Amino acid sequence: MKKILVNALVLGFAGFMAGAAVAAPEKTECLAGAKPGGGFDLTCRLAGNALLAAKLIDKPMPVTYMEGGVGAVAYNHVVGKRSSDPTLITAASSGSALLLAQGKFGQYDESAVRWIGALGADYGVIVVAADSPYKSLKDLVEAYGKAPGDFPIGGGGAVGSQDWMKGALVAKSAGQDPKKMRYVALEGGGAVLTALEGGHIKIAAGDAAEMAKHHAAGKVRILAVMAPERLPGDLKDVATAREQGLDIDWVVWRGFYTGKNITDAQYQDWVETFRKLSQTPEFAQEREARGLYPYTVLGADFERDVKKDVERFKALAAEAGL
Amino acid sequence: MDLSYLWAGFSVALSPLNLAIGFTGCFLGTLIGALPAIGPINGIALLLPIAYTMGLPPESTMILLAGIYMGAEYGGRISSILLNVPGDAGAVMTALDGNPLARQGRAGEALMISGLASFVGGTLGVVGLTFFAPLLSTLAIGFGPAEYFVLMIFAFATLGSMVGSQPVKTLIGCVIGLMLATVGLDATSGAYRFTFNEPELGDGIEFVVLVIGLFSISEAMFMLEHQAKGGSVIKVAGRTFARWADIVRCIGPALRSSVIGFTVGVLPGTGASVASAVSYTTEKRLSDREGTFGKGDVRGLAAPEAANNATAAGAFVPMLTLGVPGSGTTAVMLGALMLYNIQPGPQLFAERPELIGGLIASLYIGNILLLILNLPLVRVFSRVLQLPNWVLVPGILVLSIVGVYSTHASVLAVVMMLGIGIVGWLLRKLGFDMAPIILGFVLGRVMEVNLRNALAISGGDLSILFQSTISIVLWIMAAAMAVLPFAIGRLARRAAAPSPQVS
Amino acid sequence: MTSSTGPRGAGRSDRVGAIVLLVFALLYGFEASRIAYSFSSDPLGPRVFPMMLAGALALLSVIYLLRPGGAEPWPQGRLLAQSLAIPGLVLAAALLLEPLGFAVAVTILVTGVGRLFGASWRLAILGGLAQAALWFAVFRYLLEVYLPGGAVFGM
Repeated sequence: MKKILVNALVLGFAGFMAGAAVAAPEKTECLAGAKPGGGFDLTCRLAGNALLAAKLIDKPMPVTYMEGGVGAVAYNHVVGKRSSDPTLITAASSGSALLLAQGKFGQYDESAVRWIGALGADYGVIVVAADSPYKSLKDLVEAYGKAPGDFPIGGGGAVGSQDWMKGALVAKSAGQDPKKMRYVALEGGGAVLTALEGGHIKIAAGDAAEMAKHHAAGKVRILAVMAPERLPGDLKDVATAREQGLDIDWVVWRGFYTGKNITDAQYQDWVETFRKLSQTPEFAQEREARGLYPYTVLGADFERDVKKDVERFKALAAEAGL
Repeated sequence: MDLSYLWAGFSVALSPLNLAIGFTGCFLGTLIGALPAIGPINGIALLLPIAYTMGLPPESTMILLAGIYMGAEYGGRISSILLNVPGDAGAVMTALDGNPLARQGRAGEALMISGLASFVGGTLGVVGLTFFAPLLSTLAIGFGPAEYFVLMIFAFATLGSMVGSQPVKTLIGCVIGLMLATVGLDATSGAYRFTFNEPELGDGIEFVVLVIGLFSISEAMFMLEHQAKGGSVIKVAGRTFARWADIVRCIGPALRSSVIGFTVGVLPGTGASVASAVSYTTEKRLSDREGTFGKGDVRGLAAPEAANNATAAGAFVPMLTLGVPGSGTTAVMLGALMLYNIQPGPQLFAERPELIGGLIASLYIGNILLLILNLPLVRVFSRVLQLPNWVLVPGILVLSIVGVYSTHASVLAVVMMLGIGIVGWLLRKLGFDMAPIILGFVLGRVMEVNLRNALAISGGDLSILFQSTISIVLWIMAAAMAVLPFAIGRLARRAAAPSPQVS
Repeated sequence: MTSSTGPRGAGRSDRVGAIVLLVFALLYGFEASRIAYSFSSDPLGPRVFPMMLAGALALLSVIYLLRPGGAEPWPQGRLLAQSLAIPGLVLAAALLLEPLGFAVAVTILVTGVGRLFGASWRLAILGGLAQAALWFAVFRYLLEVYLPGGAVFGM
């Protein structure tokens, strides 16, 4: 995190020096590879609203929806049909990197597009029911290691999804085979919560922003945040997994990519626009309104991070036996 | 009983947007009901994608769809009375006494009596729904994957009454629906199933595409074959205000039939046609001393109208409390919830009280709006009976294309809708009903996912499906359900047998 | 659905239908048996449920084959052509939607289907133009649903 912050600061300064010469294109469009109201839509609207509020664009940025394969259809569309369109940005998340690592985006890999930057992040959390006897992730992992069959783990996604990966990391730290994990794939955070409260699952993997309010309301207990440092707000008293001796981070970044064949200048325009955007108070407000934690990585750094993510996920998947 | 959810619901339903939407739904529903060619399921199928693309929140969409559903039950009587062709399935019995009345020059009176009866049935039905809806919510927390799976078994067991004359075709339709639901990303293993490397199939067959294909395209093709039927429209002339004595005579039948209708509606799998048939025969047996039923008796008109409107409200009970659709129309409404990523089921009441409260409150308001629409303005709606098919059918097709295209911005989706439509037409020609397919599709994923999740929790031990009290009760109810509706069905068939054949 | 057909012809389409369903069940089951996946967290995996469905459909279609009945007669000749012209016109409208725009595609669709339903050319074309204008106005301005303008109303 520190390194990222330093990078961001240095680059931010550079961006500041580059100054007012940069600008987003006249007409802009954001592609969301899902239904309205989903995560990609949220990402698009974060950029669109903030850009407009900070007066970095004149006209609202329309959001186009292209549902299919958790972003796969949109990815193929951008690579195949819009690769030289400088007005189009497409929402992505670390989930996209995960799917790329598993080859679920078809024939293309992560280098088929240009990654502009991430504008915010959420973090993984490990959750138990409010009446669970376990108070810390360490206790839970210990108990899990002794009797993995007693702990059905629930998450809002299939085998290989981010929630499954989080569960797999817990299983692995308990010295158990992730493949033998009693994993229950539920439909979204609401179902996870109900299953946890009803005692149908004993452990849940989820995202900090969504679980924080239920944690604060006393409905569930978050045992650990999978972030390098403690999170602000409702979760400031929840220890990180690292603090509890488990080196398992899970960053869910939200960002954008654009077509491969736009010019370097056009690419830099977007990067610099986002850099300027990330320094405005309007942006901070919009980001907070969407329950995202500060996380800004732009340009070449982001390209490198995405590649690193994909490599890491590939290694994890291989280890987990996917 | 805590009814605070209802008061909260009224504040949702009385917002200007939702009032306008509720009114639109009631108006369009009455129109759709009055048109003999299309029923509530077609109307809902056509308007759902539009509501969804407009970005309406889920409660507003449900209010719209519920308005159409209720409105169609009101409107169905208009063509039964004036044309002797039922506007929708629930209005078959209405023609028996309604049309003779109209031919005696008492069309206006018949419309008013049946409108009032509809209001009584609809309102009593909603009152029943109000008290039933929160009943099961305390059990919700006990519903884990195993219980959900048994609930789905129960839902399919209730199909018994949708059976009609050929149970095997109902079951085949159901299995086809279940099969269509398996297309796409598998929610447990993350594997792609039956997608043939086509990314657009990755998320499965879209509900909107399936529903519009099955109901609009095949319907249009059917209408071409079956056109030029039906008699002439009887003009609403003479007295339009019902005689006071007639109204008084109808009070008893309307109240009794409302209770019958609501009860039949609550039983999953039994629809308005069964309810109106049962109430008509009951009333005939109870009060037809002079043998005037079938010759234009107002009581024979009021009974089925009260019943079919009460059924519509009753049908919301299993849908809202259990997530089990009782009919094709409620199956489509459940599918609409799923479009919004809202998982129907016992937890719905606890999780989204504003949705259920808003919906129920809108039904109260809707009944009043419908009474207003259907008494003074009934002449307006009777005009649509003269709408020629060469205007109506292209209109349906335009809405179909826009609905599918606008939710996907993809021509491929329209092509898929057409393929499904043609298969639907072939199946209908073979005597298959479309409703079981929709039911199978809506419940299929829930059924499979929960079975597999239950077994994931138990580590493969099947006894998890029989462990909890809820599961055991559901197994018993499923067994009962598979048998019970046959008895009701027999009763209804006995009633329907002597009636004129109206298709 | 009431059927008033001679039992002979209807029985045959029932049997053909049952055989098609049986073949479909087998193909579906075969496809299900080779679904690719690495592993699943549940004991059943992604293949078993579809294979159960395939078995159920196969069984049901055999029952259907043995006890046919209930099919309607098929439209013949001209009526069949007209029935199939409906999906044909919808397909044409869908394909023309993006290149030519909503208004043109809808005019063609409404006019064509109007003719099938017995309107004279004059009425059908008038109806086509009127519905195109009506629906365009309703969706574009009242409901604000995006529709392609295409070459004619391109903006």
